[in-house]
Amino acid sequence: MIEFRGVSKTYPGSLHPVVNDLSFEILDGEICVLVGPSGCGKTTSMRMINRLIEPSEGEILIDGEPNTAMSGTKLRRHIGYAIQQIGLFPHRTIADNIATVPQLLDWDKIRIERRVDELLQLVGLDPAQYRGRYPAELSGGQQQRVGVARAMAADPPIMLMDEPFGAVDPITRNRLQDEFLRIQEEINKTIVFVTHDIDEAIKMGDKLAILKEGGVLAQYDTPEKILAAPNSEFVSSFVGADRVLKRLSLLRVSDMELDSTNGDGDDLPRISERTNLKDALSELIGAGAERGVVVSNGDGARGTLSIETIRRLSHQAEAEQRYE
Amino acid sequence: MDSILKVFQRPDFLAQLVVHIELSVIALLIGITVAMPVALLVYRSRLWSAVAINTGNIGRAVPSLAILALVFPLLGFGFAPSLVALTLLAIPPILINASTGLRQVNPQIIDAARGMGLSNGQVLGHIQLPIAAPVIFAGIRTSAVQVVASATLATFIGGGGLGELIVLGFQRNELAIQLGGSLAVAILAIITEVGFGLLERAFTPKGLLVTSNHRSK
Ligand SMILES: Nc1ncnc2c1ncn2[C@@H]1O[C@H](COP(=O)(O)OP(=O)(O)OP(=O)(O)O)[C@@H](O)[C@H]1O
Ligand SMILES: [Mg+2]
Repeated sequence: MIEFRGVSKTYPGSLHPVVNDLSFEILDGEICVLVGPSGCGKTTSMRMINRLIEPSEGEILIDGEPNTAMSGTKLRRHIGYAIQQIGLFPHRTIADNIATVPQLLDWDKIRIERRVDELLQLVGLDPAQYRGRYPAELSGGQQQRVGVARAMAADPPIMLMDEPFGAVDPITRNRLQDEFLRIQEEINKTIVFVTHDIDEAIKMGDKLAILKEGGVLAQYDTPEKILAAPNSEFVSSFVGADRVLKRLSLLRVSDMELDSTNGDGDDLPRISERTNLKDALSELIGAGAERGVVVSNGDGARGTLSIETIRRLSHQAEAEQRYE
Repeated sequence: MDSILKVFQRPDFLAQLVVHIELSVIALLIGITVAMPVALLVYRSRLWSAVAINTGNIGRAVPSLAILALVFPLLGFGFAPSLVALTLLAIPPILINASTGLRQVNPQIIDAARGMGLSNGQVLGHIQLPIAAPVIFAGIRTSAVQVVASATLATFIGGGGLGELIVLGFQRNELAIQLGGSLAVAILAIITEVGFGLLERAFTPKGLLVTSNHRSK
């Protein structure tokens, strides 16, 4: 668990803090996304966790211990870090780049080689083809994957990822995000993930920490709660006017209570239960139908879903919303 | 031609060649030992590296002969004063290239290295020096060639070296001796240039060659 306790940072020579009295907890195995407009202190907050930056006030606890309990160098060897600008070492092969921390930790050669190949496979790069290459021989997206693999190399329980998919086109980014979520299901790390893209934040985060200008924590909660009930004008406008639809995209048809089929399903559109509610709504509207038949993988009808049900769900959430 | 070859067989040729090489090698080694630590001390600070680089540039602008002429009244005549003068010549190119090379390493690469838990010493040894190596070696090469060429002038303050032969040729009005001496200096300088060029390639990490290929394409 990572715990921010009243953490502030004012850079020398500046009057205003860029991170202001942050207090929140990141639970083990969760992806916590720090999100907010450019310059709101996301990178600064993240770098205080591994002490590349020291806070001016407050402290950060890792598993209950202040992160100042060990030397910064030692601390950083146990926290994976993928920096915003990738920063691969140009003079080292991909394998040696990935092996950086294991080498610092004196792993034996065979173990390192095995780990490198395993990680390359994990991020979707063929080890035989890529381990001997140099960073300059890789595309931006491939370099970014190596950056992520390098951060995971020594199997650290905590990973810091600063806009790790920033340098790639939207399609590749989408694929990398999916791959990463799949990997996270296997490895279950505690991850602090920085982005300024709210859609990426909603997709990746178990929790979102929305920061605003001056490094103030505007809201900290699950994406569902934040979309359903933004606590201020700022959060509401930051998550966007389409937040109701964004929220629907987080829910799957299989999460809904379905109506019974009543045996009249033959002429209704069919919706897979794995579809998210936003796409299901789109399909229903597109088919000009009020209801659709929800089918599971094996084509068995599970029940029906109506536009009215989706509308009621969204409206309820809206009614709960209160600005403080 | 024959008479030039005969010059190479003179007993004093070999002796002066050895002195010439001694002067050059020792001056270069001292130059490296002085310039590298200074570069390592100053490169982190913008102000101090600017001071070092500008001092180096002024040093390079002073003609070799002028440095010899400055050293003579202060230190006198002989091998040691010549060595001092040549060392002064050797330092600037190494100092300039080493501080520039270290400063040019992409700060994001250094940041990534620190972020992964490399100590300051490891960042320097594993990351900055290897990446800056080609630039540093280019400085050492420039310096070496300059020292080998300038060592010819050491004869004017009694330092010996192949310059002795050239002066001797003038005094006796023997063209062969003048040419033999000059030729030997030229060959020595070319060997130095080529030799250090090879060293520079050997010390350039392969990954950096890839980068430069990419950029020039
Ligand atoms: N070393 C520094 N010295 C002084 N000010 C700094 C320093 N680093 C960052 N800042 C300032 O602190 C503020 C927050 O910077 P930070 O890099 O944490 O923002 P960010 O949220 O990561 O932004 P982005 O989305 O653009 O990466 C900015 O206003 C920045 O100018
Ligand atoms: Mg940032």
